[in-house]
Amino acid sequence: MNSNNSDRSKLYFNPYFGGVMLGLILLATFYISGRGLGASGAAKSTVVAAVDRVAPEHAEESAYYSKFISDDNHPMNNWLVFEVIGVLAGAFLMGGLAGRLKFKTEHNPKISTRRRLIFAALGGVFFGLGSQIARGCTSGAALSGAAVLSLGGFITMLAIFGSAYLFAYFFRKLWI
Amino acid sequence: MREELFASGRDIPNIDPFLHIWHWHIPVYLFLGGLAAGILFFAGLFTVMGKEKEMETTVKWATFMVPAALILGLVALFFDLKHQLYFWRLYTTIRLESPMSWGAWTLMVITPLSLAWVAAYIKDAIPEWNWKFKFLDTMEEWVNNNRKPLAWVMMVFAVVLGIYTGILLSAFNARPLWNNSILGPLFLVSGMSTGIAVIMWMSKNHEERKILSKIDLLLIAVELFLITHMIMGFLAGPSVQLEAASLFLGGQFTVSFWVFVVILGLLFPAALEILELVGYKIPVAVPAVLILVGGLVFRFIMVEAGQITRYLY
Repeated sequence: MNSNNSDRSKLYFNPYFGGVMLGLILLATFYISGRGLGASGAAKSTVVAAVDRVAPEHAEESAYYSKFISDDNHPMNNWLVFEVIGVLAGAFLMGGLAGRLKFKTEHNPKISTRRRLIFAALGGVFFGLGSQIARGCTSGAALSGAAVLSLGGFITMLAIFGSAYLFAYFFRKLWI
Repeated sequence: MREELFASGRDIPNIDPFLHIWHWHIPVYLFLGGLAAGILFFAGLFTVMGKEKEMETTVKWATFMVPAALILGLVALFFDLKHQLYFWRLYTTIRLESPMSWGAWTLMVITPLSLAWVAAYIKDAIPEWNWKFKFLDTMEEWVNNNRKPLAWVMMVFAVVLGIYTGILLSAFNARPLWNNSILGPLFLVSGMSTGIAVIMWMSKNHEERKILSKIDLLLIAVELFLITHMIMGFLAGPSVQLEAASLFLGGQFTVSFWVFVVILGLLFPAALEILELVGYKIPVAVPAVLILVGGLVFRFIMVEAGQITRYLY
């Protein structure tokens, strides 16, 4: 990663500008789709569709999977799945515009790429589990929830970032 | 009590009211046929223009994919047949009014032609290649000495092949979605675009890729134009055609058609190609794969959707 500040400003958006853009996107999303943004929901749909394909009986018996399976709608036919396809396409486009389209793993120089990937995957698994217990992730519950002034949205936001502050100390060696 | 007996043709399994006889084989074949036609057309075109050196991948290397694509496509087609051992009967007659006859004979010309085209370039790929038989060496020499006339023949038959993949559907007068005259040109243009995607993906020459990219942008624009006019034509038609168009305008194929064919298969790769042309670095595999997947999905959707459109209600 390039640590030169003037170069970085060309590669990335100003975070405040990005934040305002995200808010406007969220507003547009409510207007167009009638629903908020989400990310973990697409992963959930993918898992449900895969389990339903490989072991349909298990999926129907399971209290969790069966909620998302119906005869007249495929689990992948979901707004969040298409939204995430759009996110991938948009990210690729912006990566191209910023000249950042190359394979690389960004990590602390003191740890190996392997270690970074293992911990990233572990973190992803925990976050996926947590998002299903909390009925949404930072996008679906915290961001979209808070945007409609849902109490659950604010609690999720505080819980996610609060616990991140609490646990960051134990994993600081991965970053500093 | 008076008994009345009704004989009705409205319940023929797999044919009426819905056709349900064409599965994955047909769209796969139409895709591979269109792709082969696209590659061969541009190989022929740049040979006729005398650009074999500048457009080496187009003229030489990409054509190596064509016999494989045609043969795989024909295998898929063969598996679709109910009476497989009678396929040869297509070659006992020539029927100018039958698209299947046109297709069968076009394939009979273009498959051996593409094999000969590729075989005569094989020594460029494998210099130590030895044909073992004298007559094969003579044939190779003949092909190499007559590339330009052969390229003309190849171009003409490639256009016929590309259009025929669409006419095969549009000649079905019982299915309103297929039965429109834009389908032939639309399949031809889409096939050419997928052919270009393959060549672009294989080419390592930046200048060649640029030329192909520009052609592809033009093809995508024409394709969007034809799709628009196909739908406008339906909307200006009788209620069966309105019904057919509604499958894409709110009906069950709306999302798959607009998201995977129009946005991800045409508009997005076009945007990436424009970025590449104005100097941004975009891995060529991405627009190429998107165009190929978009072309395949397009054929699956057209074959699936066409089978459920009908005249009688």
